[in-house]
Amino acid sequence: MLRPFELSEPTSVAEASELLARHGDAARIYAGGTELILAMKEGLVHYEHLVNVKTIPGLAGVRLDAGTLRLGAATSHRALERDPLVRQHFPAVARMEADVANVRVREVGTLGGNLCFAEPHADPGTLLQVFDATARIEKKGSARTIPLEGLFVGPFETCLEGDELLTEIVVPPLPSRSAAAYLKFGFLERPSVGVAVAVTLDDGHVADARIAVGCVGPVPRRMREAEAELRGKPRTETGAALATAGRIAGRAADAITDLHGSAEYKEHLVGVLLRRAWDQALAAIDGSPRR
Amino acid sequence: MKEIAMTVIVNGDKHDLTVPPHETLIECLRDRLGLLGVKKSCDVQVCGTCTVLLDDRPVSACTVLAFEARGRSVRTIEGLARGDDLHPVQAAFVEHGALQCGFCTPGMIMATVALINENPRPTADEVKHYMRGNICRCTGYKRILEAILDASRRMSGASAGNGR
Amino acid sequence: MKVEREVTIAAPRETVWDFLWDVPRLAGCIPGARDVRTIEERKTYTAVVADKVGPFKVQFPLTIEVVDVQAPERLRVRANGRDTAVDGLVKVDLDVTVTPAETGTALKVAADISVLGKLGTLGHSVIVRKGTDIVDRFAQAVRAQLEAKA
Repeated sequence: MLRPFELSEPTSVAEASELLARHGDAARIYAGGTELILAMKEGLVHYEHLVNVKTIPGLAGVRLDAGTLRLGAATSHRALERDPLVRQHFPAVARMEADVANVRVREVGTLGGNLCFAEPHADPGTLLQVFDATARIEKKGSARTIPLEGLFVGPFETCLEGDELLTEIVVPPLPSRSAAAYLKFGFLERPSVGVAVAVTLDDGHVADARIAVGCVGPVPRRMREAEAELRGKPRTETGAALATAGRIAGRAADAITDLHGSAEYKEHLVGVLLRRAWDQALAAIDGSPRR
Repeated sequence: MKEIAMTVIVNGDKHDLTVPPHETLIECLRDRLGLLGVKKSCDVQVCGTCTVLLDDRPVSACTVLAFEARGRSVRTIEGLARGDDLHPVQAAFVEHGALQCGFCTPGMIMATVALINENPRPTADEVKHYMRGNICRCTGYKRILEAILDASRRMSGASAGNGR
Repeated sequence: MKVEREVTIAAPRETVWDFLWDVPRLAGCIPGARDVRTIEERKTYTAVVADKVGPFKVQFPLTIEVVDVQAPERLRVRANGRDTAVDGLVKVDLDVTVTPAETGTALKVAADISVLGKLGTLGHSVIVRKGTDIVDRFAQAVRAQLEAKA
């Protein structure tokens, strides 16, 4: 049995922001509840006041705006998994969403909720960073946009102020001759290691390489030092660079030894998944006629 | 604390309820409506035993709040058979021996109904992907997979408008 | 989980050893510790250690027993506590050694931390990071305190 709480159902972002400001630490945004209700059921946290954001029109939905994907924060994982625009134009995102948790969590859980709960062992925050995705954050009277990477401050901690809501995630398209891939590994309920890449080719060379690692460290983040190893290389000569990039990314991932495995094991897996994701991305570029 | 007045259709029956916001769907279905076919197992939405359909979508009754069902329809295992007439998915599970202790079975079957409703002829890989969140400790899954594929074959061969 | 940290402090060994028995100042070096009380001098103390990770807060009322003293070089302490709100039991075995070093004194802190119950399982990864961080900060804080005086 959950401890009782009050429920508010605002119909605008401003109203939701006001409620958060008024109740302070006693209130929390409630969307799908797949993380929040779990934590409350386990007695790990309690909020006297939940602010339902599913009653705010326009907070959920998928739009394609001149090639850029605009995702309402309250869009469910399942909606993203199945959306024709996402599947056609951002197939790596659709695939990642299809593998989040299980189908019941995906039906109810939202992208915004996932990102804002900032559980380190999660998927979307890792992949979306290789698209240079941005997050739109609003409160009553103002809005700001930040790189998604900046949202994550620590485990279960975002940069959101007490009265702010994440309203939209904006995902720009990759350049032509690009593809992204996301691979994860885990044997517990949540993934232990997640690696995302985005590769752009130009005349047989790696024009751009983006790498993000999640689940391992306290936050998902880009591995820019590892990316530099691969940029500019001829695509047929990336073997050694991938190994080096894997080692750099593994060390930079800040792994600890815990129930998910030893730090060394996780570092090793970063390298393995990086190589496989890289190959997958290249195969996607090669297999795509128009790009 | 303000309670929420709601109307919900459960297994075709209309109910007018008043629930506190913190009541979970499984508490509502089991404790208020006596639908004990909805089983609580892990209580953390991992095992799938409490799977029910909310507007045809599979959800974990243990973690969805009851008020979220307002104005919607809920289907549990009790709502599948018509009298003694088993739903094709139930029949397939029985015929294929896709259960032993039976505890995961209501959730398995509800998830299967949702799957076939969305994807009438899933491939084995699609079944495995969809059903990944329903855990069985007894059967080793092989017969469950066969039952699901068989049920989908039968149901897509059935006449249109069967609506089950 | 076991965490070990060693710092070199620019102060003589006796000063460092005496600092370990200056309970209020020592407790001030433990992040999140407050309400430190002496139950029996040099034997038993109580304290409350509070911390939070994102929205998750814990508060452990601890009983601290001095298990073994080998003045002026080694001190072993055991702390026990149960979180009041969340189901979690914490047990820390601390082995502190104080040895002369070239530039002063080497203080080595070896902590064996167990968190049992729901908190221990669900929060395992967080606890590993936090435990390491706390021992880190404790060692740094002790050094800062002693070197400020000197």
